[in-house]
Amino acid sequence: MLKLDDLSKHFDGVRAVDGLSLEVDQGEVFGLIGPNGSGKSTTVNLICGVLSATRGKVTFKGRDLHGLPPHRRLNAGISRTFQNIRLFGELTVWQNVWIARRDAPGREAGFIRNWFGSSARTREAIEETLVFADLAGRANDLAQNLAFGEQRRLELARAVAARPDLILLDEPAAGMNREEVEDLRQRILALKHDGITVLLVEHVMELVMGVTDRIAVLNFGKLIALGTPGEIQGNAAVREAYLGSPDSESA
Amino acid sequence: MAFYFGLLQTIGIHTLLGLSAYILLLTGQLSLAQVGFFAIGAYVSGILTVIFEYHIVPGLFLGALVGGLFAFLVGFPALRVKGLMLVVATIAFSEIVRLFFFNLNWRVSVNGVEVGPDSTQGFREIRFYAANGWDTLDVVLFVWLFVVIVMALLWWLDRVRVGATLRAVGADELAAQSSGVNIVAVKVSAMTGGGIIAGLAGGLYAHSATYVDHLTFSVLLATFAVAYPILGGLSSVFGTLIAVIFVQGVLIEGMRFLGDWRNILFGLLIIIAMNVRPAGLIDGKVVLRIREALGTGKKSGGEGHAETR
Amino acid sequence: MGIDFVDIAQAIIDGLLFGSTYALIGLGFTLIFGAMHKLNLAYAASAIAGAYVGLAMITLTGLPSVLAFFLGPIASGVIGFAVYVTCFRYIPTTNMLAPLMASIGALFFIDEIVIHATAGSPLSFPAVMEDIYLEFGDFGFRGDLIFVLAISLIAMAVLMYILFRTRLGLATRAVSQQPIAAELCGIAGHRTNAITFVVTGALGGLAGCMAAAAVGVISPLLTVPITVKGLIVTVIGGLGSIPGAIIAGFAVGGFENLFLLLFGVNQRDIYVFLLLFVFLVFRPGGVFDTAIERD
Repeated sequence: MLKLDDLSKHFDGVRAVDGLSLEVDQGEVFGLIGPNGSGKSTTVNLICGVLSATRGKVTFKGRDLHGLPPHRRLNAGISRTFQNIRLFGELTVWQNVWIARRDAPGREAGFIRNWFGSSARTREAIEETLVFADLAGRANDLAQNLAFGEQRRLELARAVAARPDLILLDEPAAGMNREEVEDLRQRILALKHDGITVLLVEHVMELVMGVTDRIAVLNFGKLIALGTPGEIQGNAAVREAYLGSPDSESA
Repeated sequence: MAFYFGLLQTIGIHTLLGLSAYILLLTGQLSLAQVGFFAIGAYVSGILTVIFEYHIVPGLFLGALVGGLFAFLVGFPALRVKGLMLVVATIAFSEIVRLFFFNLNWRVSVNGVEVGPDSTQGFREIRFYAANGWDTLDVVLFVWLFVVIVMALLWWLDRVRVGATLRAVGADELAAQSSGVNIVAVKVSAMTGGGIIAGLAGGLYAHSATYVDHLTFSVLLATFAVAYPILGGLSSVFGTLIAVIFVQGVLIEGMRFLGDWRNILFGLLIIIAMNVRPAGLIDGKVVLRIREALGTGKKSGGEGHAETR
Repeated sequence: MGIDFVDIAQAIIDGLLFGSTYALIGLGFTLIFGAMHKLNLAYAASAIAGAYVGLAMITLTGLPSVLAFFLGPIASGVIGFAVYVTCFRYIPTTNMLAPLMASIGALFFIDEIVIHATAGSPLSFPAVMEDIYLEFGDFGFRGDLIFVLAISLIAMAVLMYILFRTRLGLATRAVSQQPIAAELCGIAGHRTNAITFVVTGALGGLAGCMAAAAVGVISPLLTVPITVKGLIVTVIGGLGSIPGAIIAGFAVGGFENLFLLLFGVNQRDIYVFLLLFVFLVFRPGGVFDTAIERD
């Protein structure tokens, strides 16, 4: 479904991502882990078009995404959340979701209705998304007034509202307590159940090991291991990469 | 009475000018180009009604359209620059427009009288209202008809998805893009819309003043255009209107008795206002309270704004 | 054709010399922008006001006119501090528009105070070394402009020394790059910002005096044109770039005078603005473009 081919991004000679090739299959929850600075966030930014690759290409559902700006990639079916929460703080929870909303394929509203009107169907879809993120009671609150955990859930809701085929979660569990991580795990599984492919970039190993089907490990922008959670846990190269950087939060 | 009618026209025209900057501010663009579009609207509609003897309605319409066209053209290069760079680039645009009209000489004879822009002498003879027997009240109503239409339109846009999208681009471009918003289209549309409104305001100004010259279209007026929405607050279109009433009505006209102390007070009040109310006179909280008071706080159709918690 | 090579070269020379005032104003904008990522639009107004104070001091006390070049900057430094406190210090740093608007208010306020104090009429400003005229073959150098250039070069040297050789300069650069980290290292952000405003204010006061001395008169009407030229210099030089602002200041001065010669006073500024657009389109990062794409 998503294919990275020799993907590279260099910043002033620093190889943030260096010849990364991997394939994410339809319907799986795919983990992307690695020590700090190993190029995970850069990879996410390359996939969703925030950065343009120095070399290599991103193919999604058989289509080369080269040169497509982020909003066109969203239309193609890739949505994302941000590591450092980026909500529209002065808009309400409802409006945050409303902006990102896409109609189901084959049921798209026309231009006028899409931008100037609203339909019962739209409201229903947004309410459904809010229920999914457990934010139904806060629809009319400003996003900036939400608690931290709620803001994380709103990020997720906004990404889900776009009806993506692939969703990129950039460290969604950062700063969460155990209970919230478990909630998040259930939500990721629910996405998987709905047939959405998930690419999970995460430091919280408890979540990664508990939810992913396969995991890729990056170090210095290169792929050093790929396999099931069980295989990765026993991988010597992975252990070395993590032990070599004791400040990572990979306990 | 004539004094108050004149003041009402000024308030209406400045409100339109302020609203043209308001749309751009929603998308996070601080543009001092609005006075350039204002000047274009003024000269184009003036030339149409004076030299080509158009009726004022198509004159205004075309003036607004040309203003919007220039805004559209400015919109694309403006995407490349942000913040301070945009401020400086748009000042430069307005100044080039001003200097263009400063150097424009297009005198023609209409019905035996020589009329048209006379470069440094300015453009006199824009007398459509007087020539067609409109009295001052007619003009006031005519100006305010447009003010009401534009305000209603912008107010409505803020209820529908367009408004939320404009504000999303202003809040965080990257997040907006990642939420599927085409920020190029949004910013250029906002620029074009702002240009149309500023062009309309310019046309109304030219006909109310009957005389325009380059000095009117100064950096100072460009500053006022952005000052109104910033002082009034970006939470509601009414903020801009209230700021204009306050500045033009209370500060400039209401305090004439203070002599040149008035201008000193003006600067001081801006500083105080921004320290006390950095988000403008009508900020989000005020809008909330007004909605509650009017009982319209509950969501209408789901897209309603914040209600009581 | 009455314009030959000598005229052109002479115009450029005069323009370059006068451009040193633009360089100082551009430096002020760029330093404040570098420190706070904010724009202080009251800057040129405080520069002109400082020059007025300097002029008033020497006129009232009969001191030698060179002292205006010391008293003016001091006054501007004080005004700069006042602008910082009233327009920047207490407004939330996340709000970009409010301090900008407040500094516009300060611009009006300062200008109107000057107009009120002088009854709005321009005053003549003493030129220094105006009886000196250096000639080299076909070219001449106006003594007052050489003085302006010399003063601004000294000011730039002092500024460079402060920024790159003292602890204060280090603090300023630290605050501009990582405000929170700098705070954690024990550098008081507000104090550093305030000092930046005082230093740039003094720099502006010097520029105000120099511009007034070169033009021969001083008037609040100079504020807006100097603000606009200073902003153009800042953009052409690249936001936050100190050497860029200096080069751009001289360049804008030189080109401006050349355009004046070629196209006349009514059209001069059109070409200055077009020059700005050329930079915005082809070199948006300024003369020393160091833009790095990084998230």
